[in-house]
Amino acid sequence: MSIFGHFRTSVRNVAGRSAVEQDLNEELQSYIDELTAEYVKAGASPDEARRRALIKVGGVEQVKDQVRDERPGMMFENTVRDFRHGLRLLRRSPGFATIAVVTIALGIGATSAIFSVINAVALKPLPYPAADRLLYITSQFPSLGFEKFWVSPPEYLELRERSKSYSDIAAYLENPVNVSEGSRPERVSAVFVTANMFDVLGVRPRLGTPFTPEQDLPNVEPVVVLSDAIWRRTFGADPAIVGKQVEIQGRKRRVVGVAPPGLDLHDIHPQLWMPLGLDPTNRRNRGSHFLYLVGRLKPDVSAGKAESELRTLVHQWGTLSPGMHVPNDTTHRLQLAPLQVEVVGNVTRALWILQGAVILVLLIACANVANLLLVRAEGRHKEFAIRSALGAGRGRILRQFTAEGMVLTTVGAILGLAIAHWGLKALLAANPASIPRAAEIAIDPRVVLFTLVVAAVTATIFGLAPLLHLGEGVVAAAIKEGGTRTTHSAARHRVRRGLVGGEIALAVMLVVGAGLLIRSFRNLTTVDAGFDGRNIVTFGINLPPSKYTDAQRRAQFSADLAAKLNVIPGVQSVAAMTGLPPNRPVNANDTDLENVPSGADLPAHNIDYYQSATVHYFEAMKIPILKGRGFTPSDVAGPGVAVINEAMAKRFYPNVDPIGHRVRPPGPDTLPWFTIVGVAKNVKQGGLDQKAGTELYFNIEQGPRINGRAPNSFNFVLRTTRPVDALASAIGNVVRSMDAGLPIIQLRTMDGVFADSVSRQRFLSQLLAIFAGVALLLAAIGTYGVLSYLVTERRREIGIRVALGASSSGIVRLVLRQGLGLTVGGILLGVLGALALARVTRSLLFGVSPTDPTTYFLVAGVILGIALLACLVPAQRAMRVDPLVAIRDE
Amino acid sequence: MPHSPTNLLQGTLDLLILKSLALGELHGLGVSRRVEQLTRGTFDVGPGSLFPALHRLEGSGWLSSRWGVSENNRKAKFYRLTAAGRRQLDVETGEWKRIAVAISYALEAN
Repeated sequence: MSIFGHFRTSVRNVAGRSAVEQDLNEELQSYIDELTAEYVKAGASPDEARRRALIKVGGVEQVKDQVRDERPGMMFENTVRDFRHGLRLLRRSPGFATIAVVTIALGIGATSAIFSVINAVALKPLPYPAADRLLYITSQFPSLGFEKFWVSPPEYLELRERSKSYSDIAAYLENPVNVSEGSRPERVSAVFVTANMFDVLGVRPRLGTPFTPEQDLPNVEPVVVLSDAIWRRTFGADPAIVGKQVEIQGRKRRVVGVAPPGLDLHDIHPQLWMPLGLDPTNRRNRGSHFLYLVGRLKPDVSAGKAESELRTLVHQWGTLSPGMHVPNDTTHRLQLAPLQVEVVGNVTRALWILQGAVILVLLIACANVANLLLVRAEGRHKEFAIRSALGAGRGRILRQFTAEGMVLTTVGAILGLAIAHWGLKALLAANPASIPRAAEIAIDPRVVLFTLVVAAVTATIFGLAPLLHLGEGVVAAAIKEGGTRTTHSAARHRVRRGLVGGEIALAVMLVVGAGLLIRSFRNLTTVDAGFDGRNIVTFGINLPPSKYTDAQRRAQFSADLAAKLNVIPGVQSVAAMTGLPPNRPVNANDTDLENVPSGADLPAHNIDYYQSATVHYFEAMKIPILKGRGFTPSDVAGPGVAVINEAMAKRFYPNVDPIGHRVRPPGPDTLPWFTIVGVAKNVKQGGLDQKAGTELYFNIEQGPRINGRAPNSFNFVLRTTRPVDALASAIGNVVRSMDAGLPIIQLRTMDGVFADSVSRQRFLSQLLAIFAGVALLLAAIGTYGVLSYLVTERRREIGIRVALGASSSGIVRLVLRQGLGLTVGGILLGVLGALALARVTRSLLFGVSPTDPTTYFLVAGVILGIALLACLVPAQRAMRVDPLVAIRDE
Repeated sequence: MPHSPTNLLQGTLDLLILKSLALGELHGLGVSRRVEQLTRGTFDVGPGSLFPALHRLEGSGWLSSRWGVSENNRKAKFYRLTAAGRRQLDVETGEWKRIAVAISYALEAN
C-alpha cells in the first residue's frame, strides 16, 4: 500500500473513530455468534454453546484494545492521548511540575549550550570549501625544545617546488598594523599572505580580485584586501572602494578587494590582508623562521601520503639544497597537521570535559525528577490496578506511566533550547577571547538534533524508573495491597536509593574535578611572574617604519615619551620595552656567546627571548637584580652592555661568573659586542604555566650608537597607584603631543594583562564550579527528598518504636544511619569515579596532582556535611512523630 | 489476560493468515479454522491474536475486507488478499523456505 493509502487509513482511524469502533464491535459479535453456531452444530445446547464461545474469546475489551494498538494511526492517537493525560496530571500539581520542568530545562539547556560550543569549535569543519583538505605545516627543533616553530622563506619556496602532494601551499605571517583612516588612528590585526592564499583557502573576495603573483613581489605597488568588517565599519561599506588608497603603517596602499564576510585565518580575525612580498629567488637567511604554511592537498592524496612525502623530502633536503640550517631528520624537522586541529588546539579536551560535566549535572537532575515521579507513581498503584481490571493492556499502563515524564521532557527540552540560546550569549559575552572560532557558535540544526536525542534519553530514564518496579506481577500485587502503604517492595526502595547514591557519586566526581581546576587556577594566579605586576598600567606604541626610518629617532622617541609620561601626576616610574609578558612567543635568536663552549652535547647558542628596554626598566617593573647591576643612565652614552636572566646564566655560565662575558646578536662579525653587567631574576615571558626561558636584555637608548639598531614597537609600563581610567586622557594627550597619528594600543593594567593570559583556565574553572555547585544542590535536594519520603513511609513503624519506648536519639540515629549509609556509599563510588577520570584531567591541571588527597578529603567532607544537613530535617521530623497519631493515621 | 502466540515464531502468524486466504475470502472464524486445517491442528489461533493480526495486515494493505453473509446466514466481515498481499505471500513463502532449509541444515550438522 502506498504511503498515501496508509495515511488515509490512519486518518479514518483517528477521525472516524466511532464508526471504526462500531465496526469492530460488530465484527467481534459476529465471531462470537459464528462460534456459538459451531458449538450448537456439534451438539451443545444454545446456552452452553454461548458460554463456551465467550470463554474462548476471553476478555472482549482486551481483544479490542489489542486490535486498536495494531491500527495505523493509533500510535499517534495514543501518544496524543497520553500526552494530554500527562498534561492534566501535571496541572493538578503545579508545584511539582514547575520544579521538575525547571530542573530538566536547566539540565538540557546547559548540555545543549556546551554542545553548541563543541559543535562550532571542534565538530564543524572550518568555514572553507573542502576544509578537511587543508594542512598546516610547521617546523620542529627538538634539541632546542621547540615542538612547533615557524618555517623560513627558503624552506617554504623549496617545499612548494618539490612537493607533489598539494595543489598549492600558501604562507603567511601575522602582524598588527596602524590604519590612519577616519577620525582616529586605529590598530588592527592583519596578515601578510602569499598571492595564492585565497586560492588555497578556496575563497574569493566579495569585491575586487585576489592578489596577482606580480603584486606579491618585493618593491612593487603596495596593495591591500580589506576584511568585510573593516570595510563596513571604517569605510561605510563603500561599493566603489576598490582602487581607492588607504594609509596603513604610514604608507598608502591601493585597495584591490574586500574579503567575504567572516573570512578568518587561524583565529587571527585579520582586518587587512596584504601581500607577503617574498623574493622567490632569494634562498639566503635560512635561519630566519617566521612563516606559517597552509597547504591544500590534491583531491587524490591522503594526509598520510603527504606526511610520508614530507619525511622523504626532509631526509633529502641536505643533498638538494646543501648549506647551513636546512631541514633534516633529527634537529630540524618539518611536520604537518590538519588546519582544524591547529586552530582549535588543546581547547577541545577542556570542552569535552565541560560536556562531560554538564551531562553529569543532567543525569543528577534526571535522577531527582525520576525520584519525584516514582513517589507520585507509587501513590497511583491503586488507580493502575483498577485500570488493568477494566481492560487496559500492560503496554498502555506503562505508556501512561511514562506520559508525565514525556510531557516534562518535552516542555523541558523546549525551555532548555531557549536557555541554551541565552546562556551561550552570556557565556560568550563574559569570555570573548577564551574560545577559538567563537563567532561561529550558534544553535544550528545539529544542536537541535542533539537536544532532541538528549531529551529522548532523558524521557527514557524517566520511563525506566517506574518500569523497574512495575514489572511482572506488580499490578496483581497492587490489587492485593488494596491501597495500604505499609507494605512496600524492597525493589522499589532499591531503585530509589540507587538513584540517590548514584547522584551523590556523580556530584563527588564533579566537585572533585571542579576543586582540582580551581586549585590549578589559584596556583596559576599566584605564580611568581618575576616582577611586581600590581599598580602597573601598560600600553603599546608602534612607530611606522616609513615615517621613523632612523634608529636614533625611534630610540629617542621612546626615551622622550617615557620622560613625558613620568611627569603625569601619580606616575612613579616609566619604562619602555619590546616584549610584554606573559604571553610572548619565543624569539629563539641565534646569539654569539664569547668564550662559551659549543658542541653537539652542549646547549645551542640560542636565546629564547630578546628584550630591549629603556634604562629604568628594572626599577619600573621591580625586577630584582640578583648579581651585578641593571641599566643606568650612564649606559646611554657608555659602552655596549647587556643583562641576562637567571635561566640564561644557569644554562651558559653554570660554573663561571657571567659578568664581564660578552654577547652579540646575529649578523656579520663586524658587529660590536655587548658586555654582561648583571643577572636579573627570571620573568615568566611565555606564560604563567610555562618554564621561564633564557632572556637577554639590551638597552634601547644606547642601541643606535652601538650597532645602529632600535625597535619600532614598544610596550610602555607606568608604575602608578592611579586607576587606568584616570590616566587614559593624560596618556592620550602626551602621545598626541609627540605624534597625533599614533594609536595607543591596548591601554590596560598589568593585572588585566595577566588575567587575560589565563582567561581560558578561568573560564573552565568558573563553569565547572557552577556545574559542581548545581550538582551539589541537586544531590542535596535528592537526598533530602528520599529521606523525607522514607520517614513518612515509616511513620507507623517509628510510632510503634516510640510507643515501645525507643528514645528520640535512637530514632534520629535510625534515620541518619539510613541516610548516611547511602551517602558514604555514593561518596566511595564517586571517589573511585574521580580517580578513574584522573588521566583525562591531568593535562588541564597546574601545580596540583589529579589524585591530590587534600582535594578528595575536602570534597568528601563537604558532601558528607551537606548530606548530614539534608538528613537532619527528616530525622527531626521522625523524632517528633506522635505514636498515637501515627498509628491511628493508617 | 489474552494469550499471545508465543509458541508461534514471530511473523509466522501473518504468513499463515495470508496463506489461508490464498484460495478465497474468509471471515474471522473461517481464517481460524482454515489455519487449523492447514497446520493439521497444530495451531489454534484465538481471537486475541487473530483480530490484531487481521487489522494489522489490512492496515499494511495486504488484505481488504467487506461485510457479507456467512454460510449460517449471519452478517460477517470477510477478508481477502489484495494484489500486494499476494506478492507479500510469495515473498514470505520464499523467505520462510530459505530459513527452514537453513535451520534444518543447522540442526542436522554435527
